[in-house]
Amino acid sequence: MKMFKSIKWRLQIWYGLILVGVLLGLGITAYKLEHDKVFRHTDNELQRRVNVVLQTLHRGEQQRRPPPRPNDFDQPPGPPAGEFDRDRPPRGPEDFHLQPRDEVLFDAAAANGYYFVITGRDARVIARSTNAPTAVMYVEGPPATGKLNRFTAFPQLPDDRVKYGGGQFKYDQFPSNGVPAGQPFPPYSRGTFREVEIVLPTQESILVGRNMVTDLAELRLIALQLAGASLVILGFGLAGGWWLVGRLLRPIQSIGAAAVKISAGDLSQRINVAEAESELGQLAAVLNSTFARLETAFAQQKQFAADAAHELRTPVSVILTQTQTALNREREAASYKQTVEACQRAAQRMRTLIESLLALARFDAGQEILRRTRFDFSKIIGEAVDLVQSLAEERAVKIISGLPPLEITGDSERLAQVVTNLLTNAIQYNELAGEVRVKLETRSGLAVLTIADTGQGIAAEDLPRVFGRFFRADSSRTGAGNTGLGLSICKAIVEAHGGTIEVASEVKVGTTVSVRLPI
Amino acid sequence: MRILVVEDEPDLLASLAQALREEGYAVDTADNGDDGLFNAEGTDYDAIVLDVMLPGLDGWEILKRLRKSKKTPVLMLTARDQTRDRVKGLDTGADDYVVKPFDLEELFARLRAIIRRSANQTTNVLEIGDVKIDTAARHVLFKDKPVELTAREYSLVAFMALHRGEVVTRTQLYEHLFDENESSLSNLLDVHVSNVRKKLGAEFIATRRGHGYCIE
Repeated sequence: MKMFKSIKWRLQIWYGLILVGVLLGLGITAYKLEHDKVFRHTDNELQRRVNVVLQTLHRGEQQRRPPPRPNDFDQPPGPPAGEFDRDRPPRGPEDFHLQPRDEVLFDAAAANGYYFVITGRDARVIARSTNAPTAVMYVEGPPATGKLNRFTAFPQLPDDRVKYGGGQFKYDQFPSNGVPAGQPFPPYSRGTFREVEIVLPTQESILVGRNMVTDLAELRLIALQLAGASLVILGFGLAGGWWLVGRLLRPIQSIGAAAVKISAGDLSQRINVAEAESELGQLAAVLNSTFARLETAFAQQKQFAADAAHELRTPVSVILTQTQTALNREREAASYKQTVEACQRAAQRMRTLIESLLALARFDAGQEILRRTRFDFSKIIGEAVDLVQSLAEERAVKIISGLPPLEITGDSERLAQVVTNLLTNAIQYNELAGEVRVKLETRSGLAVLTIADTGQGIAAEDLPRVFGRFFRADSSRTGAGNTGLGLSICKAIVEAHGGTIEVASEVKVGTTVSVRLPI
Repeated sequence: MRILVVEDEPDLLASLAQALREEGYAVDTADNGDDGLFNAEGTDYDAIVLDVMLPGLDGWEILKRLRKSKKTPVLMLTARDQTRDRVKGLDTGADDYVVKPFDLEELFARLRAIIRRSANQTTNVLEIGDVKIDTAARHVLFKDKPVELTAREYSLVAFMALHRGEVVTRTQLYEHLFDENESSLSNLLDVHVSNVRKKLGAEFIATRRGHGYCIE
């Protein structure tokens, strides 16, 4: 499922799961606390009533059979003889008279009132409140838990009570206001009833209970309310989460949209950076600057290709017109020779152009391998000066050079190409009978070659473009050797050596080119 | 027909001039912008072939300055075939353009077309009485039979036919039939006129004494 792989959906699902977990935890805890509170309260009330019933029962018996005098010092303290004797006459209804102030504890009118049942040794009911359910008659023990049986309950009593059979159980050990300490008779639930049953050592039992139907209904209502509230919170949470995630992911979507358009070829696309402060905003800014660089690079490549094609148009035109003219009619051999020569010149020009373009492409791609050796730069420059001497004489240009020996490391052939190129420019763009000054020196650990001419100079607005491809000072092709790539190649070679090349110029005064190379 | 070619690439200029001469045009050449403008302003050419990229004044500048004084049809030679360059050329006053590299045939056809348009002619075939002139094929029919004309005679007929109904002076004829390098004798024109009359009928070219010649 593609939908569930999207970040938005995955975030939403995780977020939803966590929210459900938190709400479940909170809801269950809240319900349990409420439930426990209700039951604890009921259990406490049950205990209280057990005590009341116990005391009432005890009091009734005392009235019928007064205990021996407690200040009888002849007798050891303890239960009166025969009181817990199995053989003593069973207690009957006449022993149990609930006092009027205690009667409110067992409100027969209330649906959820408390009730009691006192059962004798032989399962005979000694006393019961009117609202006690008849189904509590439990000769076999309480049906719901099954655990508690008054006959099996005895062995669970603390040792001193287990020893009752030995007649040592002390009635006084029942605190006057409560059930035996460490009482082993926990309250239990039987259907909607909450009951506690105390089995006395006489095997009589006191059962106090309460119908909790209204409390349970209230608890159910609370549970429903909690569930409802949780669902509402979950709904709002999910909706809010969806909105928040969508909002957070919107920059990613706009990044994606821009990237799609760019990959489709529209390089002018930019991401709309609305939140520059956020991490995504910063990412978008970085991507935008990358896109801008890409666009510039593409535009340069496109311009370069267009320029290259443009440069090839003229030589191709020459070949086409020359051959078409020649073929128009029969001609003399000399005429054909002229045509072929013109075609050769055009082809040479194209070859120079193609070689220059390939050299530049290799430099651009970093594939040009320099053959580095240690050599005397001044010697290379001297040779280049000799090479261009005839060209200089043609234009009556004087070359003045000051070349102290200076050893550098580099590709001597490539650097000779640079020097020749710069010298040719200095002569070609010089005034008739002008001067070219060539100087080599060491400055701050660099070999610095300066070539200054006294030519027409380059206009200030053109200066930044002189190393650009196909730049020509006068927008036309002068001479077959001028491809407009010479300075670009010089720059590429010098930079491949880790050096720099700079041009300074003043119109009608002259141009100075400085090449700095590491020694 | 006299044409000026302004182009700085010497091999291209030479072959263009040769090819145009062989087509029967009188051709003047210039290899830089300044000479080109000087020639274009000084002579009534039937058309100018003008390269855009030139040393000195470039093609656009020559065109702009020329249009201040002359309506000579101009065919631009451009190495850029981008729309904005074409639009710029046509807006500046060029009559047509050809993108390098071009075929000579196309260049000739466009040249014929701008010359024809400048003389308000719409077709390649002109009919004058019994004479039919096909300027594309450079054929002349007299009474439906092909007539052999020399290149110069054909140029004379074609030029006079283009300016049908106008009186064409001898000076005009010299200017349009001979290029700047030809030192033509003044009676050479009379020889050509007389030869044409022999081939196409004496009444084809009328003489207006003291003014020049005319094709009715």
